[in-house]
Amino acid sequence: MIARALRLAAMLIIAPLPLRAETLVTALSTERVSIESNFTGSGVVIFGTVERDRQTVARGAPYEIVVTLTGPLRPMVARRKERVAGIWINRTSSELPRVPSFLAIATTAPMADVAGNPVRARQGLGFDMLPTRGLPDALPPVRTEFDAAFFRLMQKENLFSLNEGSVEFLSPQLFKAPIALPSNVPIGWYTATVYLFSGGVLLAKTTQDFSILKGGFEQAITDLAHQRPALYGLAAVVVACFTGWLAGVAFRRD
Amino acid sequence: MDLYLPIAEMPMNLFLLLGMGAAVGFLSGMFGVGGGFLLTPLLIFSGISPAVAVASVSSQIVANSASGVLAYLRKKTVDLKLGLYLTLSGIIGSAIGVWVYGALRGVGQLDVVIALCYVAFLGTIGVLMAVEAVRAIIAKQRGTPLPVRRPGQHSWIAGLPLRIRFHRSRLYISALPVIALGAAIGFLGALLGIGGGFIMVPALIYLLRVPTTIVIGTTLLQTLGTMAFTTFMQSATNQTVDVILGLALMVGGVVGAQFGARVGQSLRGETLRLLLGLLVLSVGLRFAVDLVVKPEELYSISRIGGG
Repeated sequence: MIARALRLAAMLIIAPLPLRAETLVTALSTERVSIESNFTGSGVVIFGTVERDRQTVARGAPYEIVVTLTGPLRPMVARRKERVAGIWINRTSSELPRVPSFLAIATTAPMADVAGNPVRARQGLGFDMLPTRGLPDALPPVRTEFDAAFFRLMQKENLFSLNEGSVEFLSPQLFKAPIALPSNVPIGWYTATVYLFSGGVLLAKTTQDFSILKGGFEQAITDLAHQRPALYGLAAVVVACFTGWLAGVAFRRD
Repeated sequence: MDLYLPIAEMPMNLFLLLGMGAAVGFLSGMFGVGGGFLLTPLLIFSGISPAVAVASVSSQIVANSASGVLAYLRKKTVDLKLGLYLTLSGIIGSAIGVWVYGALRGVGQLDVVIALCYVAFLGTIGVLMAVEAVRAIIAKQRGTPLPVRRPGQHSWIAGLPLRIRFHRSRLYISALPVIALGAAIGFLGALLGIGGGFIMVPALIYLLRVPTTIVIGTTLLQTLGTMAFTTFMQSATNQTVDVILGLALMVGGVVGAQFGARVGQSLRGETLRLLLGLLVLSVGLRFAVDLVVKPEELYSISRIGGG
């Protein structure tokens, strides 16, 4: 017991004075994006400051910021067409059990300059390091041709984007990261993650949640369609019959 | 002006939707067909997922056929009994179609089956229509009347059991081909997002020998019943009917149909059939080209379960 207390005391004395690392304070320009009937895309800005005090070590390298905005995780399947009896049909496929439905990455500098592959692999940071099966690992994930197709197609649909250099330092400590939300942005909970790097080392990381929801009317229709499908179907038929009847009356020529 | 479609989860230009509805409505008014076989591919080509396109077009077909049926009911040119037989069997076919639709989507082969069906049906019907119309036009120019094919009373269809009398159509035929035809059209309607009028009309005339005056009204009644059920089923099981999308198409469609009907009345029957045949054929060819030509992107991604 005494020996243990002594050992603890010795450790405290030997240990150097704690050098405090930077802390990151971040805020979102909005906590909720609402999709109304005239929605054609939107944007969200992530603000942040790198907080430091007198005990913070002096860094030889500048601060680099990486911001990721990740949409709800979903199971996806990638399929490949092959020629069978003269026509092109889906033959082989590969499941991607848990991949983001949206991923926007914004940085202060080219990704390769911000951090090396081992650091980014451990964080699953970047299109080349994002795990498509399982969790981030020390080694970069193995990519199949289906994974490559997934990343290519998601970027083509504007659901995945990488904007190197779009994060801007307004002062030595204050930065902002504007991220565009395309018109086809998926609905659900999003996580904004901010990484602070210096000299290739991860110093701090914050996460913040926000939601993208449909507006009142759009949500009411979706809720009805999913929660009361039979009633919704009946309503759709009634609306269609009524429109047809109205047209028949309005354009009656005999 | 963009309109956000809540079920399709994407915005689309309102005037584009109204325009597509109006253009297809114009053609359907001109030729007296539903136009689903044009509207569904148009929506798919413009980026709406096939699932939502097929299901939402069925609601538009309901509106179109509802206004048509009313007009024909006023003229008393609908065989209600025959329409009822076709509708009930159509509903059975539709239920199977909705189920097959979901199963094919699950294994990723829905798109190719839809494309193959379009090629097969539109190609066949288009060629038949065009050939028949060209022969009629040539015969008319030569002044030689085309040999009229008398309704053959001794066809194999007449020999089938379970005969039923349809007074309005002056027919005494077996219920089996009626049920088979209704079920087949209902199945295709649910699977392909088409009303099936362009298949039903010639089938009623040439196979069942229904008088031509009664064919259109009865077909519209069957389309209305079957597609109302399909809309309901797609909503209840696949949840893919977008009422906002459907409504925009309906409004454009009913207006376009009025103008199309006026143009259609001023054209000759053979010319009209030739144009419709060529139109049907070209849509079929479009699908055929997509199937045969090597696609630029071999890969596709989709969500597992829903969407």
